[in-house]
Amino acid sequence: MEPTKFDAVVAGAGPAGCAAAYALAKAGLEVLVIERGKFPGAKNMFGGMLCGSVLAQLIPNFWEEAPLERYITRHVITFLSREDSFSIDFQSPSFGKPPYNGYSVLRAKFDKWLAGKVEEAGAIIVPGLLVEDLLWDGNQVVGVKAGGEDFPASVVIAADGVNSLLAQKAGLAEELSTEYVSLGVKELIQLPSEIIQERFNLEDDEGVTQLFDGFCTRGMHGGGFLYTNKESLSLGIVIQLSALRRMGVKPADLLEEFKSHPGVRNLIKGGTVEEYSAHLVPNAGINKVPMLYKDGFLVVGDAAGLVLTTGITLDGASFAFASGMAAAETVKLAKQNGDPSRKTLCNYEKLLKESFVLRDLETFKHSQFFLDNPRLYTTYPELICNLSRGLFTNDGKPRKRLWQLARTEMGRQKLSILHVAVDGFLGRRAI
Amino acid sequence: MNSMSLEDKLALNKYDIDEELHISVNEDICRTCRNRVCLHICPAECFKLLGEKITYSYEGCLECGSCRLACSKGAINWTYPRGGFGIAYQYG
Amino acid sequence: MINIIVCVKQILDPEMPPGKFKIDPESNKVIPPEGIPLVVSPFDEQAVEAALRIKEQCGAKITVVTVGESSAVNAVKHSLAMGADEGIVVEHIIEGYDSLLTAYILTKAIEEIVAYDLIICGREAADWGSGQVGSIIAESLGIPVVARTRKIEVMDSRLKVEHIIEDGDESLELPMPAVITVSYEIGQARIPTGWGVISAARKKIPSWSLEDIGVDLSQIGDTSSRIKLLKLFTPTRERGCQIIEGKTAAEAAANLALRLREAKVI
Repeated sequence: MEPTKFDAVVAGAGPAGCAAAYALAKAGLEVLVIERGKFPGAKNMFGGMLCGSVLAQLIPNFWEEAPLERYITRHVITFLSREDSFSIDFQSPSFGKPPYNGYSVLRAKFDKWLAGKVEEAGAIIVPGLLVEDLLWDGNQVVGVKAGGEDFPASVVIAADGVNSLLAQKAGLAEELSTEYVSLGVKELIQLPSEIIQERFNLEDDEGVTQLFDGFCTRGMHGGGFLYTNKESLSLGIVIQLSALRRMGVKPADLLEEFKSHPGVRNLIKGGTVEEYSAHLVPNAGINKVPMLYKDGFLVVGDAAGLVLTTGITLDGASFAFASGMAAAETVKLAKQNGDPSRKTLCNYEKLLKESFVLRDLETFKHSQFFLDNPRLYTTYPELICNLSRGLFTNDGKPRKRLWQLARTEMGRQKLSILHVAVDGFLGRRAI
Repeated sequence: MNSMSLEDKLALNKYDIDEELHISVNEDICRTCRNRVCLHICPAECFKLLGEKITYSYEGCLECGSCRLACSKGAINWTYPRGGFGIAYQYG
Repeated sequence: MINIIVCVKQILDPEMPPGKFKIDPESNKVIPPEGIPLVVSPFDEQAVEAALRIKEQCGAKITVVTVGESSAVNAVKHSLAMGADEGIVVEHIIEGYDSLLTAYILTKAIEEIVAYDLIICGREAADWGSGQVGSIIAESLGIPVVARTRKIEVMDSRLKVEHIIEDGDESLELPMPAVITVSYEIGQARIPTGWGVISAARKKIPSWSLEDIGVDLSQIGDTSSRIKLLKLFTPTRERGCQIIEGKTAAEAAANLALRLREAKVI
């Protein structure tokens, strides 16, 4: 007789759900993953970079077989004013050695591969099915309802992403608020690999990430990004939804504007757009992480808002892997104890508190407040660009010292020393 | 790179379009709405103003869910499409 | 209870965006689009559906057969998830669209399965659209075939079918075993249920090689001697827009009629 009840049902075959399912299946538990996309990865999109160190704990040497695009050896941060751009450029060949520091990844391919590993490990994945509701026995979650059918389970792991219906149904999460999510829109732009390597000063499989601050968001909280893939670029913008809501700008227009900026347009010259995508990113940090468990129920990844945003780092994937793995450890324990109630499942939160997941979010708990400062997206990038212009201008007039240029520019931007001091203090605390 | 219309961009994407709608709006609320955030917030511009009426299409929806959160009046009923339908990213 | 064999083919997703359909003019081959998984040809899905309806009506054991690369196992899994009982993959990549070769391999596989009362195929595959395989199988096995059937009824050892002809339907009776081909007239194919997918995932799907079923390719001769693909290309579509003017609506309509007649549309 084949089992009709699973040790765990995982809703969502993204990084968090797959990490949980993989670890559980490897340990011999009966696992079912239900994914609403036609195939795992079909609904998934992110900016572009994956840090591999956490995944390597789950699948050692995964970089030898996973469909990775380029390993990132160069990081650029660019400040944009209306026309000018100012970049900080860091390149290190040491990032180009196994286990590598990070990879550019295309999620439709990567997630499909990861889901394949999950199946190999012995879990069953049902794609093309949307989990609609939870099954209850009193206060205990005992499975899910999908496509009108019941799927009983000892523990349900909600890995259903940023719009987590299940965390809400379980009564753990509130409805998302526009201040605590950002909207990412992105284009996949095809370019021959030789051109990418030449244009971005890269060897073979090396890649670059470039983050943009300033004019590309028209002063809204957010930024632009560019990642090099093997034969394409991922180019897009991420903007806080509440800001976008207030400003009344269309995201598609903003992306076109970004693409036509003099600091950007030559980077994508000659490319052809192959895909246009959009996704929400939770950005509330530790402040809005919901209760992570209840009887028979765990929330992981984006569904739990486990994403780190510091302005320089935007990492959800590592947190997804780590939370999925912690959930798996906890479900294994529940299986051993024969107790899927909160008494056992509270171990999940304990594991996350011990790991970087909740510790990083705690460390950077002030980031959101800091990043809400409009000066970061208007005054400072403009100041840096204008200052640089002043510094490099040769117009036959008497030259000024840097400090004089800075004072003049600060006056023009109505920026006082006090502002800088306050922002510096907040920045020191936040990033 | 020449600027590209949104329609042309959406036409690049792979969709499996369901006959069932996964977006609907409450016309009574929309009629009284002044700020009409839905008209600009959607990255696929699924919401359009036709005369005085908010019209919507679901075929090009990228399933981000922004409209649902951004409409403070709760007039937009946005859910995930049925399993297997909607956007299927090739790259993501 | 009867034994039904359904032949299915895995093809490029016909629902892919038109711009993603690319051809390599050098090799005259379609370049498979990255990241769009192959699907079961829709008419073949309907063949599975037709078999499932017979199963529900009078009981049947449904075996699905496919010929293709190893990923064709997904086409079989999909059919099993819909409700078919067993599936077999014959691993062989057929270059191009040699219907005779496809039908020959399928016939050999069917003979290997031995027990069959009814063989159901899709009218044609949604990629090449040759629409010959079902008929060639029937001919090879020496059994009757009815193409483009909209309704199948099993009555003891005979079949009653409704078959579509140019200006209506034909009602036919035929003995079993027989080959039937179906298309969309049979009705929408069901979407696999979750538990259907689970039980399909738990089934072992045997993979047969050509030797396993006694296929000797030298017997059938060189494909290229039968069919030569001269040119594969996407037709260029020209679109234009004209606004027909007129002082009144009636005059504009009359001008439109004239213009349409000129263009030989009406």
